Amino acid sequence: MADTMGHTASATDNMTRNTSVALGIVLLGLAPQIFELVWSLGTLVGLGAGRGPLQVVTAHLTALVTSVPSLIAVLAAVPGMILSYFSPGSAAAAAKSTLSSDELLALIYSYPLFAVAILTLFVRIRAPQDYIGGVVLMAVALFALWASSDLQGMHGFSFGAGTAPRMFGVLLVALSASIALTGLLHEGEGLSHYSWRGPLFVSAAIIFFALAIRPLGLVVTAFSSFLIAAIGSHETTWLEAVIVGACLTLGCAILFPYILGLPMPMFPRFLIQ
Amino acid sequence: MDLFANLAHGFAVAFSPINLLMCLIGALVGTLVGVLPGIGTIATVAMLLPITFGLPPVGALIMLAGIYYGAQYGGSTTSILVNIPGEATSVVTALDGHQMAKQGRAGPALAIAAIGSFFAGCVATVLIAVLGAPLTKLALAFGPAEYFSLMVLGLIFAVVLAKGSVLKAIAMIVFGLLLSMVGSDIETGASRMAFNIPELADGLGFATVAMGVFGFAEIIRNLDHGAEMSRDLVQQKITGLMPTRKDLIDSAPAIGRGTVLGSILGILPGGGAVIASFAAYTLEKKLAKNPSRFGRGAIEGVAAPESANNAAAQTSFIPLLTLGIPPNAVMALMVGAMTIHGIVPGPQVMQKQPDLVWGMIASMWIGNLMLIIINLPLVGIWVRLLRVPYRLMFPSIVIFCAIGIYSVNNAPVDVILAGVFGLVGYWLIKHDFEPAPLLLGMVLGPLMEENLRRALLISRGDWSVFLSRPLSAVLLAIAAGLLVLAVLPSLRAKRDEVFTESEG
Repeated sequence: MADTMGHTASATDNMTRNTSVALGIVLLGLAPQIFELVWSLGTLVGLGAGRGPLQVVTAHLTALVTSVPSLIAVLAAVPGMILSYFSPGSAAAAAKSTLSSDELLALIYSYPLFAVAILTLFVRIRAPQDYIGGVVLMAVALFALWASSDLQGMHGFSFGAGTAPRMFGVLLVALSASIALTGLLHEGEGLSHYSWRGPLFVSAAIIFFALAIRPLGLVVTAFSSFLIAAIGSHETTWLEAVIVGACLTLGCAILFPYILGLPMPMFPRFLIQ
Repeated sequence: MDLFANLAHGFAVAFSPINLLMCLIGALVGTLVGVLPGIGTIATVAMLLPITFGLPPVGALIMLAGIYYGAQYGGSTTSILVNIPGEATSVVTALDGHQMAKQGRAGPALAIAAIGSFFAGCVATVLIAVLGAPLTKLALAFGPAEYFSLMVLGLIFAVVLAKGSVLKAIAMIVFGLLLSMVGSDIETGASRMAFNIPELADGLGFATVAMGVFGFAEIIRNLDHGAEMSRDLVQQKITGLMPTRKDLIDSAPAIGRGTVLGSILGILPGGGAVIASFAAYTLEKKLAKNPSRFGRGAIEGVAAPESANNAAAQTSFIPLLTLGIPPNAVMALMVGAMTIHGIVPGPQVMQKQPDLVWGMIASMWIGNLMLIIINLPLVGIWVRLLRVPYRLMFPSIVIFCAIGIYSVNNAPVDVILAGVFGLVGYWLIKHDFEPAPLLLGMVLGPLMEENLRRALLISRGDWSVFLSRPLSAVLLAIAAGLLVLAVLPSLRAKRDEVFTESEG
C-alpha cells in the first residue's frame, strides 16, 4: 500500500510539473496578446494611441476562433505547401489577403505553441534546461516569423525584404525544436535557480535612469540609480553606498560633459528654468 | 621594400604626441578593466566607445586597440596574484600562475607573462604588416558568393570553438542573425519587425545589445552568487621580478609555440584570444615530458597561454582590416567604432587610409612596450584595486554602462533596450546558451544578407553559384568538414576535455 502510494505520488508529482510547464507554454503562446492588452490599458488614462483594452480582447478572441478554419486548412494542405512554398511564413503571406494580422498571430505563433504545450503533457522531460530553453527560443522564432509575415517575399529570383528574416526564422524554429528534442532524449540539467533581487533592482535602476535622464539631469539620475542598483545586493550598507555614489556622480559629472564633451543635461530642468 | 616604408610611415603617425597619449590611455584603461573581474573586454569596449567620439579617427582606434590588448594583459595579472581571471582569456593562466605565486614566485610569473605577451605582440605586429597587403589583394578577387561563404565559415568556426552544445551555439548565431534584421531593409527600405517603434527603425544598435548581454547580464549573474567573492590575495610583497636563467630557457620554446598557435587562431574568423589561450595550454601539456607538473606551477603554463592570447588579440585585426569581416565580438565593436568615424572597414581601407591602418599597427607595438614598462611597477596598485568590494563596484558599473549607452545616441530607449537584453542575457546564461555567437551573428547578419542577395541576383537565382565558384566551394567545404568534425563523438570528447581542464 505504502509502495503504491509512493509510486502514485511521484507520478502525480511528475504530472503536476509537466502541467505547470505546459501552462507556462500556453501563457507564452498568449504573451503578445497579453502584452498588447497591458499596453492598451495606457489608453484608458490617455497615454499613447492604439486600440483600447476592450477592443484588444475582442479582436484577439475572435481572431483565435476565426483562424481555426484556416488552421485546419493549413494542416490539411501541409504536404502540398512544403512542396510549393518556401516557408510557413510565405505560405501565410500567400493567404494574407484573407487573414488579419491578429489571425495570423494566432495561426503562426499561438497555435503552434499550444500544440507544443499539449505535447508537453505526454512526454517525460529529461533535461528541463534544454527543453524549456528550446521551446522559448522557438517562440521567439515563431514571433519573428509573424512579425515578418507582412513583408514582401521573393519576387522572381530577387530577395524581398521578408525573405531573409523568414529564412532565418524557419532555421531557428528547426534548431530550437531540435534543442527541445534533445531535452526529451538525453538526461540533463534541471532548471537553475533564479534569484529575484539582483535582476529586479538592477533593472529598476536602468529603467529609472532611462526615464529620469532627460527631465532630471545627470547628477540626480546617476546618484539615485546608483542607490537603487545598490539594493540589489544584500550586503550593501547605506552610508557606504551614499558616499561612493556621491563620489561616482561627481566623477561622471566632470568626466562626461566636460572632459569628453558629450552633451548631457546636468541638473533638473525645473531648477534651471 | 614597401613593407618597411609602410611600417616607417605607421611609426611616424603613432609617435605623434597625441597618438602616443591615446595609446597610453588605452593601454592603462584596458589594464584597469582587465584587472577588475566581472566586466569583460566586450563590455568595456562597448562602454568606452562613446568616449572616443570626440577624438580624431586614428586616435580613437589606437585607443580602442589599446584597451583591447591592455585588457588581455591586466587579466593575467589578477589571474596570477589572486586566482581571479579578470578576463576569459586568462582563465588558464590562473592554473599555473597562481600556484607559482603561492610558491613565492609571483615576480617571475608576472615577468614571463609580460615578456611572452610582448614577444607575441611584436611577432603579431610584423605579421599584420606582412599579411595585410597580400590579403587585401585576395580580398579584391572575392565576389559576393565568396564573401558569403567566408562568413559561413567564420560562423561555423565560432560554433566549433565555442564551448558547450554545437546545436545551441548555431541556434544563438541564427538568433543573432534574426536580431540584426530588425529595422529598415537596406535595399527596399521596408521596415522590418520594428512594430512602428521609431527607435527601432534604425535597427538594434549592437553596442546596446553587447552592453546588455555582456555587461548587465554579467552583473545580474554575479549577484546571484552573492556579491562577496572569495579573494585569497597573495599578501606577501612581490620581490625579485626577474626570472632566473632556467625560467627563461624553460619558457622560451613555450612562448614561441604559443605565439604561432595564437597568431593562426587569431586570423581565423570565429577564433580569437580565448580559444588561443586554451589551445596553447593544452598543447604545452601534451608536449611536456612531465605533464604532471602542470597545475602545480609550471612556468610554461603561464608563458604559452599568455603569448597565445596576446598574439591572437592582435592578429584578429587582420581579417577586419583586409576583408572587413570582424572575426569576433570585440572586432565587431571595432567595426562599429570605425563606422561612427565614417570609415568603412574592408579592402579599401589599406589604400585609402594608410595613416589609420599603419598607425594602428605601429601603435600596437608601442602599446605593448608601454605595457611592459608601466605595468610591472604598477602591479601593487592593481592588486590594491581588487580589494574594492563588489557591492560597491557593481552599481558603479551599472551607472557607467547606462551613461555610456545613453551618450551613443542620446536616446533613453537605448538604455531600456540594453536593460531588456541584460535580462535576455541572464536567461541565456541560465539555460546554458552562450551569448558570444549571438553577437557575432548579429554583426555579420547585414553583411551576410547583402552578399547572399547580391550573389543570387548575379547568378539569376541559381543557388549552385556557391558551389560552382571554386573559392567559395572550398570555403564551404571547409565549413562543412569542420561541422562534421565538431559533431563527431571522438573530437567532441577532446573538445570538452580542453574546456573542463580550466574548471578542474
